[in-house]
Amino acid sequence: MSSSNPDSNAHSCIQSLSSILSSVPSSVSSSSNPSFSLLHDPTITSEISSLLRLPDSGSGDNNLCRWLYDTFHSTDPELKLVVLRFVPIIAGVYLTRISLRKSLAGFEAIVLALYAHETTARDGQPVTVNVPDLSQPSIYHEAKGSVKNKATELNLAVISPTLEPHGTMRSSRRARIVGVALELYYSKISQMPVSSKMEFCEFCDIWAAGQKSEESKGKKERRIPLPWELLQPSLRILGHCLLGSQKSKELLEAASMATKSLYNRCLHDVDAKGILATSSLLRLEQMALDPKLNVDHTEIDGNVLSL
Amino acid sequence: MLCACSGEQFKFEDAPQSPESLATRDFSASGLSSRTGDWEPKLDDVQVDEAESTLKEALSLNYEEARALLGRLEYQRGNLDAALQVFQGIDIKGLTPRMTGAIVERTRQGKPRSKGDVIPSSVMSMHSVSLLLEAILLKAKSLEELGHFRDAAKECNIILEVVEAAFPSGMREGIAKDCKLLEVFHKVLELLPNLWKKAGFLSEAITTYRRVLVKPWNLDPLRIANVQKDLAATLLYGGVETSLPAHLQVWGSATPNGNMEEAILLLLMLMQKVAYGELKWDADIMDHLTFAFTVTGQFELLAGFVEQALPGIYERANRWYLLALCYAAAGRNKVALNLLKKVSGQSEAKHKPHIPASLFGAKLSSQDPKHALYGITFARNVIDLADQPNEHFKGQAHRFLGVCYGNAARVSISDSERALFHKESLASLNSATLNMKEDPELVFNLSLENAVQRNLDVAFDNAMMYSNMVNNDSGRGWRLLALILSADHRFKDAETILEFALDEAGSLDQLELLRVRAVLQIAQEQPKQAIETYRILLSLIQAQREPQSDLENEAKRKIEMAAWQDLATIYTKVGLWRDAEICVNKAKSVELYSPKSWHTSGLLFEAQSLYKEALVSFSIALSIEPDYVPSIVSTAIVLIRLGNQSSLPIARSFLMNALRLEPMNHDAWRNLGLIAKMEGSSEQAVEYFQAACELEMSAPVEAFK
Repeated sequence: MSSSNPDSNAHSCIQSLSSILSSVPSSVSSSSNPSFSLLHDPTITSEISSLLRLPDSGSGDNNLCRWLYDTFHSTDPELKLVVLRFVPIIAGVYLTRISLRKSLAGFEAIVLALYAHETTARDGQPVTVNVPDLSQPSIYHEAKGSVKNKATELNLAVISPTLEPHGTMRSSRRARIVGVALELYYSKISQMPVSSKMEFCEFCDIWAAGQKSEESKGKKERRIPLPWELLQPSLRILGHCLLGSQKSKELLEAASMATKSLYNRCLHDVDAKGILATSSLLRLEQMALDPKLNVDHTEIDGNVLSL
Repeated sequence: MLCACSGEQFKFEDAPQSPESLATRDFSASGLSSRTGDWEPKLDDVQVDEAESTLKEALSLNYEEARALLGRLEYQRGNLDAALQVFQGIDIKGLTPRMTGAIVERTRQGKPRSKGDVIPSSVMSMHSVSLLLEAILLKAKSLEELGHFRDAAKECNIILEVVEAAFPSGMREGIAKDCKLLEVFHKVLELLPNLWKKAGFLSEAITTYRRVLVKPWNLDPLRIANVQKDLAATLLYGGVETSLPAHLQVWGSATPNGNMEEAILLLLMLMQKVAYGELKWDADIMDHLTFAFTVTGQFELLAGFVEQALPGIYERANRWYLLALCYAAAGRNKVALNLLKKVSGQSEAKHKPHIPASLFGAKLSSQDPKHALYGITFARNVIDLADQPNEHFKGQAHRFLGVCYGNAARVSISDSERALFHKESLASLNSATLNMKEDPELVFNLSLENAVQRNLDVAFDNAMMYSNMVNNDSGRGWRLLALILSADHRFKDAETILEFALDEAGSLDQLELLRVRAVLQIAQEQPKQAIETYRILLSLIQAQREPQSDLENEAKRKIEMAAWQDLATIYTKVGLWRDAEICVNKAKSVELYSPKSWHTSGLLFEAQSLYKEALVSFSIALSIEPDYVPSIVSTAIVLIRLGNQSSLPIARSFLMNALRLEPMNHDAWRNLGLIAKMEGSSEQAVEYFQAACELEMSAPVEAFK
């Protein structure tokens, strides 16, 4: 896409999409902000989601994967958001199908593209956090006791280690690459629609516990290994779904179920880090739901106005 | 005077004294006439105007105050729409500068006013200001209850701005505590961020929280703590990176860089308040901190906070379990195991057994042969004592039990005990499969244990199953498969597997696999290829000199040292003494106290027929590790070579010692046969040689583990 006009990018994207989907509603194709409508239109997104769940959706010659790959490489950041919206489904279906020995080159291309984007953006630096030293005053507090005059040593905690560029998917790198795609998704999560977050919760549940389908034996999706590189970004996303967004009751329920599944899985595997994080999330959710513990300080006493 | 709502006349009990005191009268529903039957729930404009003009006259209130009172009445009755309608009529925008000015004037301290210094009457009274601010607050609350969160937030924001403009650097301590203005303002400080959150504007909420916290507003400490806690939660889970405004970024390195850092700062401050007794223990704060520290990997810090909690907050066994989780997550398994032993120890005998802790203990124990016996106890705890809700842990418990029995067998010194442990190990692992058919870890354990016990077919099947399940994701699966194949003398197949595995493996696994390939090549008498493979291996290690995690560095050093040792052995075999010596010295430079390096030196000396020096080297190896079987056997071999009749019994005792430790060592059996032959007992010699032969047939080129 050499045109610098974002609208024309979006329009050509929608054009090529219409050859893949059964139909593109006119509200999207003729809207004034096409990338935004593409992100939020329920008809289009549900159709794309169902297409992604078809048995052969991840192969190298799949049109939809091709479209997603191309759209992510457009210069318009809004269009990148559209692709990010589908990360939960892509990552979810991809990881659950690994054991089935199908060709997943289409999915892998998209995930690798996301990974490459993050690698460039982070420029060889890890994502770190400095654990503050309370003996130094900050914007929120005065230090108790005497302030040490020496320069504080940084106590750096690494949230995400340095990324090495990877051009191909290998089984030993898979968890890390998908994990980084999830980190990218989390960085934009405030702009993701609720349906996308619900899909993530659904797949977390499947990853943790596997899907119980009694009808056809072959279709049972086995639970997947959950190394920390995959679990940590998933926990941050779940934390947001559970405690960070107040709006949707359905999302809360889905997130709650996903967290419980992860908790049970971590208990079973005796994964110390996972147990600590998931049990905290569950307890916080319980406290939030219990009305007895919520005291509203803003209730007006409703009586006398006194000087 | 006319009652505003029902048009009734009613009398005041007392004569009105001042507008303020009138306004303080209770205008609640009970004070008005009882003719509520005529009441109209909605007011239209005409009635409002009438009512307001009446109030104005009677109470000498001005227009705005009258509407404010009216609106409050409507709100208290629950007529939100009516209240809003009344409030709309107040021109807030025009009033805000006057209100700010009034607050500044009226709360000014400092020089006492001289007699002639009169506050101009155009300045509003504090009472009016409070009334109007309360009106805005009630307007916001009405909007909130009607679901218009964003508008409500905007209204509250006006109040915040008025007061902030009046007190640019926060409120001093001395402002009258019982002032209604303060009460309204504090309620706004708590309400506004929640409104922004409900409206979905997390950025604004965070900015507001910061405004509340950064300057002093005379909020009482408990409420400040609550605001800090809410801000921390919003920063942690909101998913919206909201950077600090420029004027707050002046703190240099102490400025929080990012939401996570800011959240951790707030949570640490709150925990400090708890530690100093200023706040009661709040499980929420601890949970937020646990989440933040888990995501950032600060497990030892977290353990510190768990320990800091006063007795009684956690149940004792639970506290130990939590601490064990933290320390294990930080990689300090020994500490974690000690804590878990306490959980299932004597002091907790009177309480319910803590099943997750026992399971955790079993898992940690299974990772180190030294702790095998403890692991058996832990696992048995789970199996015997788990009640109904914890049934599903039994499968895992059986698995850990199997692994621990296997480890125990390896370190056992009694033959009968070893046989028992082997049996139990396989039994436990097999019963685990009843509950956990598709668990890859279990399949791997089964394969390994069967391989060690030389049940090669079962081991092979399981190893293949494992590799399929994890879909090529694991170097250790491939390594085990290659070793099993080598034990079966299917060297070509083993090489194929290694080829395939090297393609898929990560860097550390690659080194390990290369080493197995080299060892296979040695076993197939291909020293040149082996040397080449070692060359590749060592250059790979050299190329990866960047700092990795401690565990990885440790593993790499071990592989490097092993590579040098193996090269030395190859050179020794082909007679290149000089090269062999160089390699041994390289191995010793990586790690001096390795029994295998000294053993390799000994073999070198032996090959050069320098038997005394060889014995010295072997005894150094044994002084480092008294149970190092290869050196024991080699000492015996050298003694045999020396040819003295008197040294044969000594050699035999060395060999028996070696067999006690490793009953399947075919070299020891063979040399026992040699001794028997030299002493003339041919039949016994034949038996020994036969045993050696059979064992050699199924020996892997390298230990399975």
